[in-house]
Amino acid sequence: MSSNLENNDKILKIFSTVRCMNRDQLPRYLDGRLTDLEKHLLEQHLVDCDLCFDALQTLSQARYREQYQPLSVSISQYIRNSIRKVSTTQKVERYQRLEQKKESFLIYFWVVAAVAMGAGAVYLIQQQNRLRALTPSQPIAAVDKVMEPIPTSHSQPVAAPPAETAAAPAPRTVAPATAAIAAGPVADSLQRRPPATEVKVIPAVKKDTLKAAPATPKPAPSKDSARNPPPAEQKEEKSTLQPAKETPAPVADKVEKKETPPKKEKEKEKDDDDNKKTADAQPSGTDEFLYKAAMVYHQQGDLNEAISRYKHLADSKSKYGELSRYQLAVCYRSKGQTGKARRMFKEVVRMNGPMKEKAQSALDSL
Amino acid sequence: MEPFRFSYVNIGNTMLQQLTNLSDKDLISRARKLKDQEAEGVLLERYSHLMVAVCLPYLNTAPGTAADDVFPALLQRLSNSLKTQTIHKVNEWIHYNVKAIQDKSDRNLPFFSSTESREIQQVENRIEQAAMNQKEQQQLIAQMNVVISQLPAEEKYFLTQFYLEQQPLAQLAGAKKYSIDKTRQILKNAKQHMASILMKQTYEQ
Repeated sequence: MSSNLENNDKILKIFSTVRCMNRDQLPRYLDGRLTDLEKHLLEQHLVDCDLCFDALQTLSQARYREQYQPLSVSISQYIRNSIRKVSTTQKVERYQRLEQKKESFLIYFWVVAAVAMGAGAVYLIQQQNRLRALTPSQPIAAVDKVMEPIPTSHSQPVAAPPAETAAAPAPRTVAPATAAIAAGPVADSLQRRPPATEVKVIPAVKKDTLKAAPATPKPAPSKDSARNPPPAEQKEEKSTLQPAKETPAPVADKVEKKETPPKKEKEKEKDDDDNKKTADAQPSGTDEFLYKAAMVYHQQGDLNEAISRYKHLADSKSKYGELSRYQLAVCYRSKGQTGKARRMFKEVVRMNGPMKEKAQSALDSL
Repeated sequence: MEPFRFSYVNIGNTMLQQLTNLSDKDLISRARKLKDQEAEGVLLERYSHLMVAVCLPYLNTAPGTAADDVFPALLQRLSNSLKTQTIHKVNEWIHYNVKAIQDKSDRNLPFFSSTESREIQQVENRIEQAAMNQKEQQQLIAQMNVVISQLPAEEKYFLTQFYLEQQPLAQLAGAKKYSIDKTRQILKNAKQHMASILMKQTYEQ
């Protein structure tokens, strides 16, 4: 049974794979210097391998056997030499390729870094520009808030701050300082806030004049200085007011603070003839703004607020005085106060201005 | 005492030793995929003594042939062929190319292994795979016994005596008064016959 099993296993040897004869086995097979098992294995291979069988057939002849050894060694050496040559060149090539890769990687890295830095710089510049564009509107609000409590102090001369701000930038810092002394709780907030720029101060000054004018008499030197604001500041004032037209609600608050009473203007005219032209120019610009702000309230339906604003402008000698009276009449009519409306329309007719016809027709229709 | 010097020669020797232990299939794979010329060299060196032995009659008989011309040409041909040809058995591939160098008419024909050779190789692979699976191995043994019984008597006799009884080739040839070459040819034919029957049965299943 066991021999049967062995025979069964041996049958698989028919298709077992055996390697070709090596350098050592070939002469030993010819010389008969192999073990039985080794010889049988090689013979199993010889059945399939034409190369080994042909080699054995050739080497079995003595004349070829003599030539075989030196040729075999020399071909082996030849192959080894060619391998070494090839591998040296191959390694040099590989090294060069690696170096090239490193170099190209470095180039890519620096290109990417340069692009990133450029993009970063552009981004920073854009941010800076955006911040610059935003800064003018923010300090105005800040200064308004800060300056708001100042009129409450009675000891502070009302016209002094505008005079100082209008004259030169240096006294500007003095004005908040004096205000800080006068109004104790405000002092802290004033000190904490950064010093306002020229553009920021102007609206604050107006607000002061508006609120303080009816309350306190104005000293003479301050009036003079107030009457002569430099034209550059006027331009700036316009530029800051321009965006305010687009956003009515916040502007309206500012307007309240910036209104100037007509009495003050009259006094200014009397005091200095040389400065008349500039003095007239200033209220006309302000009046236009105030009129438009009142119009916004009017359009929004806030008639009471609009009326109070129109009233401020009604005494103005510019065309906005007439327009304001007309609008005031319209507001009264809208509110149902026909008596007041009629009286205001009559005033407009009496003024004999461009709105006369409209006022007359409105009177007729009432 | 000299300090140990790390040099390319040491790396080369170590590399060569490692490559020498690889099979023909692995060396071919390295030479092709990695373009490893050292692997290619190791493979060719492994068979170089057989190339020399096979070429000796040609070098001595053919006019104007010298070893310095023939062997570099042969090695170059093999090197080129290695990169393009499908090689199942290296010995067959080398034998074909040696014969092609000697018979200059066949120079440009590429090497393709014969159908018989491929059938034998398939059976060899199947037996190798069955070595890990006892049940499959037993089935294969039974199938081979059946196939041997179907073979002609002479082929059956030679296969049994040579593979199962482990008789040497010379003794087997002497017993039948055949030459060793003829005995080998009978065994080769019997093996091919058996392989083709086995593969046919496999395809029919």
